[in-house]
Parts: sequence; structure tokens; C-alpha cells
Amino acid sequence: MNIDFLGAGIWARHVPGMDACLALLDHGELDPDAAFIAPRPEAIAPRERRRAGLMINLAVTVAHEACERAGLDKSEPASVFASAMGDTAITDYMCRKLAAPEKLLSPTKFHNSVHNAPSGYWTISAGNRAPSSFVGGFRESFGAGLLEASSQAIAAAAPVLLVASDIACEAPFDTIEPVQESLGIALVVAPAGWRPKGPVLARAALAYRAEPGALAHEGALAPDHPWLAALAQANPVGAGLTLVERLCGARDDDAVAVPAAPAAHLEISFEAQA
Amino acid sequence: MPSYIEHYTLTCALGTGLAALRTALRSGQSGLSSAPWPDCDVPCYLGRIDALDQLVDPLPAERRSRNNALVRLALDQDGCREAVAGAVERYGASRVGLVMGTSTSSIDRTETAYSALEDDGSFAPSYRQPLTHNPHAPGDFAAAELGIAGPRLTVSAACASSAKVFATADRWLAQGLVDAVLVGGADTLCLSVIYGFHSLQLVSPEPCRPFAPDRTGISLGEAAGFALLTRAPGDSGLALLGTGESCDAHHMSSAHPEGLGARLSMERALAAASMTMADVDYVNLHGTGTRANDETEGRVCGDLFGPATVASATKGWTGHTLGAAGIVECALCLEALQLGLLPGTMNTDTAEAPFELLLASREQNIRTALSNSFGFGGNNCSVVFGAS
Repeated sequence: MNIDFLGAGIWARHVPGMDACLALLDHGELDPDAAFIAPRPEAIAPRERRRAGLMINLAVTVAHEACERAGLDKSEPASVFASAMGDTAITDYMCRKLAAPEKLLSPTKFHNSVHNAPSGYWTISAGNRAPSSFVGGFRESFGAGLLEASSQAIAAAAPVLLVASDIACEAPFDTIEPVQESLGIALVVAPAGWRPKGPVLARAALAYRAEPGALAHEGALAPDHPWLAALAQANPVGAGLTLVERLCGARDDDAVAVPAAPAAHLEISFEAQA
Repeated sequence: MPSYIEHYTLTCALGTGLAALRTALRSGQSGLSSAPWPDCDVPCYLGRIDALDQLVDPLPAERRSRNNALVRLALDQDGCREAVAGAVERYGASRVGLVMGTSTSSIDRTETAYSALEDDGSFAPSYRQPLTHNPHAPGDFAAAELGIAGPRLTVSAACASSAKVFATADRWLAQGLVDAVLVGGADTLCLSVIYGFHSLQLVSPEPCRPFAPDRTGISLGEAAGFALLTRAPGDSGLALLGTGESCDAHHMSSAHPEGLGARLSMERALAAASMTMADVDYVNLHGTGTRANDETEGRVCGDLFGPATVASATKGWTGHTLGAAGIVECALCLEALQLGLLPGTMNTDTAEAPFELLLASREQNIRTALSNSFGFGGNNCSVVFGAS
């Protein structure tokens, strides 16, 4: 699959947006005391935003940023949302209520408990009626989502928005999957050459590799920047951060590998800039 | 180029496997019952699979959940495992993909785990199951059971989940990412869905009556099914002709009042199949039995259907199986194409619909069928099948 990366969005502690990410990669300074800033997507009305919760606000924020940076009309691209754990804050709410005798659920929380809730809020906020999906691939969710978004872009001959996010887990989920930092990454992918003129972050060939030992360059999995490397350890969708570094021009690998399934990965081979 | 259906199977409240399903359809016996659900006081009818109660404990400790027990039960029917093993043998494990659809995943297990949390708030040891408490649990389990090493993921788009699996699989096949794909869906009854829909006042105290003028809401159910898709025409003569996906961009849990998204998904599926509505012999409606959903779907279908289009809503047979509704109703379309038996709209005596709603089941040979699945988040999918 030959694709162009047209734009990106990111939100995490120390990197609330692509400008912050580019600055961090450029001079590498960060304030160790800086707290996570709650994302507040302007496209969602304040009352809705409060009820939506972090997972939805995080995903919708990076979705809008990636489309803006790609220069796309937000009502147009199809979208693929991906997450390892889904919205564990809502899952916790549902399960606590259901373990209590009264079992009274808020109808809003219930409809927000579907894993495609971020997709629903995004499409409503963007007036977008294109296909939209949520895909889970557990610890390989970023790669599974990138494969699905790229395949869809090529099938539709049009850009597709990928949004991968997980939020920091509290008890009891921290005991089974210790997600310590919240992170959202969005990328706009399009078939190679879809935009004949105008900026393209990178052009690449994607290949699914499941052959034993095919992971040729293990080192290429980890981000170079210490904070992004720490984020990659602290959040499953951090598997996409090496690719983000490459798209920011902070590294010049010929290829980057992203886990796409247990014992399989997506090999992303970049075309040299003309 | 269409994709072909080499094999399929379905397990739902009507029976375990296709033979039991056919017997139930022929005898006109609904799978809904008023038997109480443990720890639940919502008056309702459910389409439950009683055999599952005994099938959770035999699972490997890491995989234990009602939903995974259902995945395994469905894979054990109709030679499904053998069909997949044949594809793995023919093409190689990494050339066979898997696209699973679910809305509940194994939330049944997470609910149970919360009733037994440790004093420090952590999961008790028998519930420390990272591979189970996550949205990809059924896809990961099915791939592990079958030795599938190709691309795999789990689609979770509410009640459109296991219809959308056909769209993803079709793209993977067309692009040569894989030579065969197993698509499927699995959703189990649990407190989340019963009390969740109850909070929206959508659970009917009676067996659901889709499109009846006096309909009173939904009856929930559980089900799992699979279909093996390939590029090469197989013996079944069944083909996936096209899929259409859309979003309402309107509201999280209410359909667009004019059914804009529903219309788009049907139109896109027909365009992908190079067909018009006049070419569709049978439509399996989403037809949940709620006042608003049936009215909206009815309005759009009344607009789109030709005078000869025959349609039915089958959730009175199976219950609304949510994330599995897509695979259930796609399997019913495949059954209709193979057997020439169109399932009627169980429990509905009078139709309130601006098109011909099939009330009683009918023997009729058909060549094409379309299935609608619409879900929360305004997520819609339509799938068109054909028989050669």
C-alpha cells in the first residue's frame, strides 16, 4: 500500500498539540513539573464536553488538529478510531453502578460507553457523514488502526483520518494494563499522489509482515526523544510515536516498524524526498 | 470484483449451528423467553443461549468470559474450524485475516470482576485477564483458537459492528492483503446492555414487535456467527456484492430524523454492488421495535424500495443481539439465498410501514439480499449478498 501522510495531531503531557511536539523535538526542553492539560475541543459545546469525559475529548481534539494541519474539509474524510483499552473511565462507571443494588445508569453515560463514542462525537462535531469505525487490536491497536485506515484510503481513493488514543488507567485496570499517561495521536493518510500539489509530510509503502524474524530493526521501534520514549512505554498507542518523530523530521530512518498484531508488524518504508 | 462466501455459521437463541436455526425458522418458534436473568429485575424478554452457562469454566483461565465461551461455541459448529484450517493450509497462516465485530466484548466478565474486587480496589487474581478486559478480546481469542496469523482486528461500532466486518474484509481481499478472511461477530447478554437500554426506556416488557403500530421497544439477545470470505468463487455460489457505510452526524443515541445516514448506507452499498433497489429481492431490516427507529427506517425504505421489494425484521426471532446483529442478519440473508425461505417478522401481526413487510415466513427463491444495521454513534452499514 503506497500512502501519503498529510497531517498529524497529538495530545499528551508535555505535548498538547503538534506545535508543542515540534518544539520539544527541536530543542528538547521540558518542564518536569508540567501537568497533563485536559483537552477542550472547541467543536463540542461546553455542556456536552463536560459530559463526554477525557477519552472522547482527547480523541476529538487530535482529530480536529490533524484535519486542520492537513488542510482538509472536516466534513469529508472517513475515519478510523483505535484504542487498546477503550474508555476505562466509563467502563469503571458502568461496572461500579451495576455492582451496586440499585443498578441505576445515566442514559448519557450508557450511550457514551460504546467504543465508537469518540467516532460519534467527532462525526457530529465535524458534520461528517463518511464511514467511521472503531477498531481494537489491544497492545497493537495503533498498527491495526493504521492498516485499516490505509486500506480504506486506497479503496476509497480519498484521505482517511486515523485517531489512536488511550487514557491513563486507574484501579482496577491499572493492575492488568498499566496505562500511566493519556495519549492521543491522529494522522491523515491518503493514497500516494492524492494531492498532486501542496504539502505532504511523507510518502511511504506499507507492508504487513508476519514472517518470523522479519522485524529487521528493533531499534526503530523506540522513539529517540526521552519523553516520547517514556510515553511509548506508558501508553499502548505510544507505538505510533516513532512514526510521529519521523513525520516531524526528527529522524531520517528509511523504514519504521509498528506492531500490528502479536508477532506481526507493519513495515513503513519511506520514499526519499524529491 | 465480488468476494465469495466459502462458509458460514450462526449460533443464536434460535439454536446452536445452522441445522437448529433452520428447524426453528421452519417451525416458527421464536428464541425469546421471559426466563429471569441473574441479578436483574428489569421486566423483559431475552434471546439467550442457555448452553453458555456451562461453557465459561472450561476456557483457559486467561480467556474466561461468557463472550469468549460464545465465540468458541460458534466456531465449533458447522465445520467452521475445518473451513478455516483449510484456508490456512491452502494460503498460509499469514495470508488469512480475521475481522471480528462486537459491542460488548467480554464486559460480562468485567462486570463479574467488579462484584469481587479486592480491598485495595484491584481485580481478584482469577479476574486478572488483560487479554479479556479489552475491546479486542473476541478477535484475539478467535485468532488464537484458529492459528490465524494475518491482519486481525475487532470492529466495535455498536449495532453496526459485525456488518462493518464485511466492508473491511472486502477491502483487504480486493487489495491482496490476504487471500481469505474470517469475519464474525459475538455479543453476549450482560447487565450493561439490559440496564443500559432500560435507562433509555427502550426495553420492552413483552416480546419485541418490530414495525407493529403498538410496538413497545426492544428485546435483547446474544449471538455469534462467522463467515469465511475468499477471492475465489467456492461451491456455495454465495457472493458479497457490496457494502455501504455512513454516519448520521446527528446524535449519539437517536437516529437522524429523516434517516439521512440510513439512506446513505443503503445507497452506497447498492452503488458498490452496481445495483439499484429494484435489483434487490429481499431486505433484512434493522427493525429494532422501538417507536423512533422503526419509523425512521420505514420512511427511508418506503422512499427507496420498489413495488416488488420484500422486507422483514427478524429481531422478534433472535432478539436484538447488538454487536452481533450484523452477522446474525447477514447469515439470515445467506440462509434465504440458499434455502429460498424468507423469515417473517416474528410477533408482528399488523405492519405500520410504507412498504410490503413480510409478516409470515414464505418460501421464495431469491437471487439478492440486503441487510441493514444501524447503531449508536449514528453508525450505519448495509451489506448486499447474491447467489449465482
